[in-house]
Amino acid sequence: MSHKLTRRHWIETTAAAAGALSLPAGLNAQAAPAPVARKGNIKQSVARWCYQKMALDDLCRAGADMGLKAIDLLNVNEWDVPRKYGLICAMGYAGGGDIGNAMNRLENHDKIVQAFTENIPLAAKMGVANVITFSGNRKGMPDDQGADNCIIGLNRVKKIAEDHGVTICVELLNSKLNHPDYMCDHTAWGVSVMRAVNSPHVKLLYDIYHMQIMEGDLMRTIQTNIEWIGHFHTGGVPGRHELDNTQEVQWDGVMRGIVASKYQGYVAHEFIPVRDPMTSLRQAVDLCDV
Amino acid sequence: MSSFTRRALMETSLAAAGALTLSAAPVDAAQPVVRKGRIKQSVCRGPYGKIPLQDFCQACAAMGLRGIDLLPPADWATPRQYGLICTMGYAGGGTISDGLNRTENHAAIETAFRENIPLAAQHGVPNIITFSGNRRGMPDDQGAENCIRALNRLKPIAEDHGVTICMELLNSKLMHPDYMCDHTAWGVSVMRAVNSPHVKLLYDAFHMQIMEGDLVRTVQTNIDWIGHFHTGGVPGRHELDDKQEVQWDGLMRGIAATGFQGYVAHEFSPTRDPLTSLRQAVDLCDV
Repeated sequence: MSHKLTRRHWIETTAAAAGALSLPAGLNAQAAPAPVARKGNIKQSVARWCYQKMALDDLCRAGADMGLKAIDLLNVNEWDVPRKYGLICAMGYAGGGDIGNAMNRLENHDKIVQAFTENIPLAAKMGVANVITFSGNRKGMPDDQGADNCIIGLNRVKKIAEDHGVTICVELLNSKLNHPDYMCDHTAWGVSVMRAVNSPHVKLLYDIYHMQIMEGDLMRTIQTNIEWIGHFHTGGVPGRHELDNTQEVQWDGVMRGIVASKYQGYVAHEFIPVRDPMTSLRQAVDLCDV
Repeated sequence: MSSFTRRALMETSLAAAGALTLSAAPVDAAQPVVRKGRIKQSVCRGPYGKIPLQDFCQACAAMGLRGIDLLPPADWATPRQYGLICTMGYAGGGTISDGLNRTENHAAIETAFRENIPLAAQHGVPNIITFSGNRRGMPDDQGAENCIRALNRLKPIAEDHGVTICMELLNSKLMHPDYMCDHTAWGVSVMRAVNSPHVKLLYDAFHMQIMEGDLVRTVQTNIDWIGHFHTGGVPGRHELDDKQEVQWDGLMRGIAATGFQGYVAHEFSPTRDPLTSLRQAVDLCDV
């Protein structure tokens, strides 16, 4: 449940384990059965870190079988893996800082610019649609100064994104429970930054789980701000578990609202299953296939 | 939208019935649908204003509802003919824009409550409604102080008669601009200061989904200070169907888990056949 800890732990582990980009080891994938046909109104993905006990290849294979289109939150050296199964990495880690330290501090910009300059061309090559970044925590900084700094940082990297057709996404997270002091914790603040940067390749990652905790008013907020949203995450509220009938968000309703906005990106499931993981994931994919 | 409808209905029914009507002979209702009873459900009169109150009560009793919300004193006797009660009464607690946050409103509200709360008790009406009123430039802390002062004056009347005064939470973002009691935290701070088992919040889940989200956690954390609930699909305040964003059965499970003993009243404007839509909502929330 402690998403921050888990996600961070995962990055460190995998980053340490794999120093360089591994080349795809031939096409050793088994011939998979025909995947479940999906309506395609919502292209669905899944966050890797919620299924850590599975080998990435196994997650990709199972994901492809159930009609997912992508895997979220893979490191650079893993970006080629989903491609063996007809998937892509929909949201890549490309050195965009971490939740606590990122775009709202000028001293982080050089490092992020350098990483994006190196990794965004690679993302384009691997068909990675989006790369993630964060505001960072407030640490006493006023929101307007943080916004100014994020705008400076994003203006430095947007041309790289535009030149390669990859979208940089700044994630919205809740600061009420899971990520105390995180700055990009309200849609209005995030949208003000996006408007100022004004690039088709710099968007918000609207995490529905986090925004239900912070704001509610999901469909209206999404539909009003859809031009500034590049990606979505899910997760049952409260608890960030299955999208089942013990939680308060009606996910198929939200998905219908997203479809109505003509959104063309991905929706990635990011919940920690408490029951059989692949069964829970499959149920979420069925539910959101509106 | 809601204030408009509600307001119109109040005026109509107050004008139509000058005095308390004596009840006609009870009608034999068909065997009502048996409900699990973990959530006692009610429905607001307003959206069904075209159906005569007697017919409405009969239909509600048949589908397993327990009460009708938002009736003026003149109508309080009617649901009882059908084995129902008025679960939330209008008893002169001000209006949405003019309520307890202005000291100049207190005397009129006190007079009305002194007259109507004993009447509510007599008719088995468990709750009566009141409002904060609008801000009109008043700081929230001053409004809270004024509300606390008023509720402290009113609470002995409520306690003496076993009736609960409920202050409604409404959204100021879309429908009731400038309404003061628009966040749970502010409402709870007032309730804590008044600290009476007969002064609570009316947590309108439609309005709070628009203002705050985080429904189950907010409800469970503050259940001691919540006396009543309203529903309504978000966005739009229509049916609790699969085109809106709140999973009402999930929220009801969250409410039931707290051991809440009060009522949940449906307050949405049906866009399809009204009683079919109401029945679907009641089925959904019967967890």
